[in-house]
Amino acid sequence: MNKKNIVTYSILCVALFIGGMAAHDFLQMHEEDVFKPSATLTKTGRLGDYWQGLKGTSNDSKIFYFDSGKPGATVLLLGGTHPNEPAGFITATVILENVRITKGKAIILPQACESGFTCTDPFEGNPRYFHIKTKSGNRKFRFGSRVANPLDQWPDPLVYTHYPSGSKYSGFESRNLNRSYPGRPDGSFIEQTAYAIMQLIKTGKVDVAFDLHEAAPEIPIINAIVYHEKGEMIALNAVLSLEMEELRYKPELSPKNFRGLSHREWGDNTDVIPFLMETSNPIQGRLRGKTDEELILKGISPRYKEALESGALNIEYLPSGEPLKRRVGRHLAGFKAILEAYNEEYPEKQALLENLPDYSDLMEKGVGAFLN
Amino acid sequence: MMYWIYILIISFLTLVLFIEFFKEEKWINQVALAMVLITFVLRILQIK
Repeated sequence: MNKKNIVTYSILCVALFIGGMAAHDFLQMHEEDVFKPSATLTKTGRLGDYWQGLKGTSNDSKIFYFDSGKPGATVLLLGGTHPNEPAGFITATVILENVRITKGKAIILPQACESGFTCTDPFEGNPRYFHIKTKSGNRKFRFGSRVANPLDQWPDPLVYTHYPSGSKYSGFESRNLNRSYPGRPDGSFIEQTAYAIMQLIKTGKVDVAFDLHEAAPEIPIINAIVYHEKGEMIALNAVLSLEMEELRYKPELSPKNFRGLSHREWGDNTDVIPFLMETSNPIQGRLRGKTDEELILKGISPRYKEALESGALNIEYLPSGEPLKRRVGRHLAGFKAILEAYNEEYPEKQALLENLPDYSDLMEKGVGAFLN
Repeated sequence: MMYWIYILIISFLTLVLFIEFFKEEKWINQVALAMVLITFVLRILQIK
């Protein structure tokens, strides 16, 4: 073997080794997160049960059913529509691991867009995992991408045209579940996912539904409850009762021409009353600075503090930070207040979900105390 | 269908790069080609 061949094969071996290491890391993100549901769990299912096209795919997401056996309303809760918004799916996890249902039914999808949990967003430098200390030890959760993995839907168009409205979005949004409702069975992978969720709402006869999100501190719709017009009274009553607990939420009416989003399409296309909630998450913001697991958990960003103190930006950021426990606490408080307002509005068809921690419990004991 | 067209394109490019990798005389250029090959192969194998 001459010198040139030795160099060539050496470079090839190093490339194979690096490729193998990278492949191992990427494949690890396909391992599902572990959920430990409360003892009142009735059954589990998959999103593929509602549309066969999803069976066995990355978006054949886990569904947890809780049935009290007593007549009442059916509540649907979605976390993980955007896998880079951890308070959404951690809130859903806290609920499914603690809930005791005494009236009606609850259906929980903690990771609605599971495909997005199998990768991270390019160029963001986000961590792939974060850890929460619980009574059973350290639990690992994936921190994914805003949209589905390009392995599941590729390539992106230059311009994404929403079906059926014809609204135009950037091509990247073609993989965004919350721009794809109501979806269609013969559409793209993410449109089929949206279609399956719509089928779940229709066949499950869901009465009230929640989609939990987070957004960067500089986004105007933040610390907010977005509601469809048919849920206006419920949302406003909930905001009032939350004010009593000194928790401020902006009530935001779902715009009629902003198409493809859960709070618009669920309400327009089914009988459900939908709500979407947002909290302030510094790791999603442009000013965040060092991007690591600490930023997910503690939400402390010196640059956002500086921006807040300068007064030059209208941002939702507390000088002490926006920790995960506060964001999950806000989602839980909002969820409970809306459900309470719904039960007052429809006393003949209530859903009673008990044993859920309060905002103050979360702030005092942290998220880990409420995970099994 | 679009998906398979892109897979065919990337497979073809990978083959061309692989041939170039063995033909290339300068080791520094071979390193650059290897870096591109890693990403292409991972995409063809549906890993990344």
